[in-house]
Amino acid sequence: MKVVTGVVGNDIHVVANRLIDLSLRARGYEVFNLGVNTYLEEFFDAVVETGADVLLISSLNGEAEGWGREVKPLLTQYKKLDDVVMMIGGNLVVGRGDPDEIQRKYKSYGFDLVCHQIDLNTGLDMLETHLEKRTQESNA
Amino acid sequence: MSKSVEKLLIDVGSTYMKVSTSGHVEQHFRDFNQDILDDLVNKCGDTLKRFEKDDVHICSSANGGLTTLIIGVTQSFSLKYATNIAFNSGINIIDTILYQNIEDYSVPSEPVDVVIIVGGIDSHSELFSDSLYCYLEQLTYSNIVFVGSEKDAPVIKSKIDEVVVLPNIIDNRLHIVEEHLKEYLTNLYQQDIEGKEDIKHLYDITNNQIFSTPYIVNKALPHIDARFAVVDPFILLDIGGATTDIHYSKDLVDENIVTENEYDRLVFKKLGVYKSRESLIFSAKDNEFVYELLMHLKVTENILEEHSKRATKILMQLAIFLVLCKTSHYRKAYINLKLLAINSIVFTGGITKVLNQEEVEDIVAFFYKKVLTSEHKPRSIIDNNYDIWTLGAKELEACQ
Repeated sequence: MKVVTGVVGNDIHVVANRLIDLSLRARGYEVFNLGVNTYLEEFFDAVVETGADVLLISSLNGEAEGWGREVKPLLTQYKKLDDVVMMIGGNLVVGRGDPDEIQRKYKSYGFDLVCHQIDLNTGLDMLETHLEKRTQESNA
Repeated sequence: MSKSVEKLLIDVGSTYMKVSTSGHVEQHFRDFNQDILDDLVNKCGDTLKRFEKDDVHICSSANGGLTTLIIGVTQSFSLKYATNIAFNSGINIIDTILYQNIEDYSVPSEPVDVVIIVGGIDSHSELFSDSLYCYLEQLTYSNIVFVGSEKDAPVIKSKIDEVVVLPNIIDNRLHIVEEHLKEYLTNLYQQDIEGKEDIKHLYDITNNQIFSTPYIVNKALPHIDARFAVVDPFILLDIGGATTDIHYSKDLVDENIVTENEYDRLVFKKLGVYKSRESLIFSAKDNEFVYELLMHLKVTENILEEHSKRATKILMQLAIFLVLCKTSHYRKAYINLKLLAINSIVFTGGITKVLNQEEVEDIVAFFYKKVLTSEHKPRSIIDNNYDIWTLGAKELEACQ
C-alpha cells in the first residue's frame, strides 16, 4: 500500500517527518516522503503521480489549521482522489484545544483520520484499523 | 609541442552571419534571396578558401527552434519536470495541458514539432484514457514522445502511431530524471537545424557538426570571466532578429529541481526585431508599461510602424524590456528570476550592433524603477565583438 507523507506549510520539523517515514516503512507501506515545507498542491499531485492510497499530512508548528481549511476546496479540483484516505497528525492547534472539537473541525475540512497530539504508533494503528474496515466494507 | 591550427568560426543567424578568424570578426546582413552557402561564399569567399573543412566550425539559430506541447498529469511533477527539460533543451513550449482537464483545452491550430506525454511513477498505471487519444487525433504534430510510467508504455505504444517511448522522467522518489528526454529533444533540435535545406548545404564547407547557437553560448558561460569583468550572479541576453535567448545561473531561480547544468536557458521564439518583428510589437502593445517607456524614449507608438534605424533601436530597447518583464514576477512566462540579486547583465547578439551602452542602461534602469520599483542597477556589459560566441565555440572544440 502506498502512502504520501510530508510536513505541510512553512514547517521544518524534519525529525518527526523522518520518524513517520521509518515507522510507515516498518509496517510495510511504500512511502513517498515529500519532506518538510510542502504545499498542499504538492501533496495532492504526489498522490496522483504515485497512485497512493493514503495521504498522511503532518504539522507541528501550529500551521495546520490554516492549511486544513484549504483542503476541501483544493480537493474539488482533482478528479480522481475520492478514494484516498486523508489523514492528518501532529500538533494541530496553537495552544490548548478540546480534542473532540479539533476532531470535528478537521473532519469537516475533509480528513478521514485526525490525530492531534496522539503518539505515532497509536496513530498508525488507527490508520490500519481504518483501512481494514474499509476493505471489509468494500468486500461486503 | 603541437602546432595550433587557426580555426574559422561561423554563426548563421536569422538576420546576420558572423565569421570569426583569429582575433577578427566580420558581420554581414543576410541576403534572403540567396541560399545561405551562396550568400556566405559571395561575402566571405576569400576567407573560406583559406580553411580546410576540418577547421571550420558552424553554429546556427536561423531556424528559431522547435515547438512543443506537453501533456502531463500534475503541475507539481510531470508538467514541471517536462517543462524544465524542454526549456533547457532550447525548445519553445506553446502550451502545457493538465491531463485531467484535457477536454477543456483547445487544440493548437498550428502544427507542433513535438508532443511530450508524461505522468506517473513506474509502479503506477492507467493514468491515460481515450480522452488523450481523441485530443491527439485532432492535433497536427511531427514527433511524439512518451516519458511517463513504464507500466503505461505498452498501451500508449499500441494506441499512438510512431510514439517514441523513453525512460520515465520521474523516478520512484518523485525526483526528475532528465538525461533521456533532454538527449532526445536536443537531437531533434539538431536534426531540425541539419534538416533545413539551407543548413545542409553548409556541410560542403565543414566536416564538423553544426550546433545550435544557444547551445554554444551556454557553453561559454562558466568561462565568461576570461573575457569580461562580469560580477556574479549574472544573466545573459542574446537578442537577435528572430529570437531572444536568456541564459541564467540556477542560483537565480527558486525552483529546487536538481539537475547537472550550472546554467539554464530560455528561448523566446517570437521576440526578435527582424523576423519576429510583428510578434514583438504585439507583445509590446499588450504590456501596460510600454507606452510609458515609449514616452520615456521620446517617441510615439507610430515608431512601431516605421522601418528606420531609429525604429530598430526602439524595437531593440523594447525587446530588452519585454524579456526582463517575462522573467520577473510581472508577466512571468516560465521562470521568475531573482532580478534584484543580479549584479551584471551581459548583452550579446545583433543588439550589440544597434544600441550603445547608455541606451541599454537606460532601459534596464527604467525596468527596475517601473516594474520592480527599485533603484538597483546591475552593470550592463555589451559583447560587441561576439566574444561570447567565439569563446563557446572554442570551448566546444576543445571538448571534442
